[in-house]
Amino acid sequence: MHLIDADVHNAFADIRAELRPFLPRLWQEFADRHGIAVPPAGYVSPVGVQREDARPPSGGLAGSDPDHLIKDHMDRHSVDFAILTGSHILGASVHFDPDWGTALAAAYNMNLSGRWLDRSERFRGSIIVSHSDPQAAAREIERCSADKRFVQVLMAAGSNRLFGQRFFHPIYEAAQAHGLPVAIHPGTEGAGTADTPTPAGRPTRYFEWHNIVPINAMAHVNSLVCEGVFEKFPKLKFVAVECGIAWLPHLMWRMDKNYKGLRSQVPWLKRLPSEYIREHVRLTTQPTEEPENPAHLLQIFEMIGSPDVVLFSSDYPHWDFDNPAMALPALPKEWKERIFWRNAAELYGLNPVTSGR
Amino acid sequence: MKRHPVAKASDIPPGGRKIVRAGAAEVGLFNVGGEIRAYRNVCPHAGAPVCSGRVSGTSMPSRVYEYIYGMEGCILRCPWHGWEFDLRTGEHLVDPQNRLKAVPVENEALERIPLEQSDGTVYVLLPG
Repeated sequence: MHLIDADVHNAFADIRAELRPFLPRLWQEFADRHGIAVPPAGYVSPVGVQREDARPPSGGLAGSDPDHLIKDHMDRHSVDFAILTGSHILGASVHFDPDWGTALAAAYNMNLSGRWLDRSERFRGSIIVSHSDPQAAAREIERCSADKRFVQVLMAAGSNRLFGQRFFHPIYEAAQAHGLPVAIHPGTEGAGTADTPTPAGRPTRYFEWHNIVPINAMAHVNSLVCEGVFEKFPKLKFVAVECGIAWLPHLMWRMDKNYKGLRSQVPWLKRLPSEYIREHVRLTTQPTEEPENPAHLLQIFEMIGSPDVVLFSSDYPHWDFDNPAMALPALPKEWKERIFWRNAAELYGLNPVTSGR
Repeated sequence: MKRHPVAKASDIPPGGRKIVRAGAAEVGLFNVGGEIRAYRNVCPHAGAPVCSGRVSGTSMPSRVYEYIYGMEGCILRCPWHGWEFDLRTGEHLVDPQNRLKAVPVENEALERIPLEQSDGTVYVLLPG
């Protein structure tokens, strides 16, 4: 069977050396004096974020060597395509200085193209944008979209505004114009300009923070539907990477129920909220929920009501990596094919037969 | 069917409403644009006294971030969960399969005379 991994973290071997050549002169000088760092969420994992065993022989950060990543992950697990989601860069969206964030995101994309996408046809890139400046993000999407190896737009899930709001629409307009899904990835909840990881306050430790990350994705998906983003941009797809899955039926049911009484506030919606979700929202599997009875997860998939919504992801080389051979419960054949590769192939326009694996 | 005299037509001017008892049933009478409509006072969703809800217009289907007010006087909004029903058809705006239970109405007014000018009795027809 084919396999497309929707969340693989390429890392910098040396962030300054890799990004500096692609920064405008002013920001080169800034980087030389102050280094390059994106705001951290501030939560420290007791096991580290990177898998110890995934460290390349060169000794750099796990995921920092393209050849080793292919060998250690893609060849070992027969991954046709890896959707690269970066590392230590999504926080560009939550820098206090949006111009610095925009410059970093653009430099990342330029570096990705040469250092990763040129290395293997099996790598597909995400255009990382800073959502703090949607007009600049739209220009970055325009710039990168000519290179078809970029298959989605990716931005930090942490934000101080909900993503359905009109402030962000230039990003969706540009993404739709170029047939690119827009994805979010966690890690920046509570970092930089982002609001607290939960509206009830800040979790105390990484464990607690990591548990509650999906609350943020729920809020964004809710906002995208209610603000009419999928009416305004009817071809847009939105991917919540690494944000969990089991909450989706709850949200769909709650939205549909409320819509029956509160419809008049959102007269631009023409269908039940859950119908927009099934058509436009995609979720990646890792970290897969592991109920005591694995069949319950399958029931959750059924409750979502469409086999098109879920995409397999491993999160290699992070500590909570999902092994594609063991991560999901036994699935019916159609669901298995959809989740492990067909949904991603359709979403990203990939043909695994030609991956060259 | 049993014919219950429940009101004088003049009691229910256009835009007006009267909740009456007919046998064991509660029925809401609404004058919608000169026509009397009658519905059981039980919301098909959760059993609320739906006919006591607010009568209004609502926001019409529109483009994103656009509000167009319409259907003025045609919307009955259930007091419990806010479901909007079109008083002309009884249909829930979101799910037209879900509708108010209509009750047949007869009145003694001649059809060409506006209801509010007649003193005809309004009857509702209920089983039993």
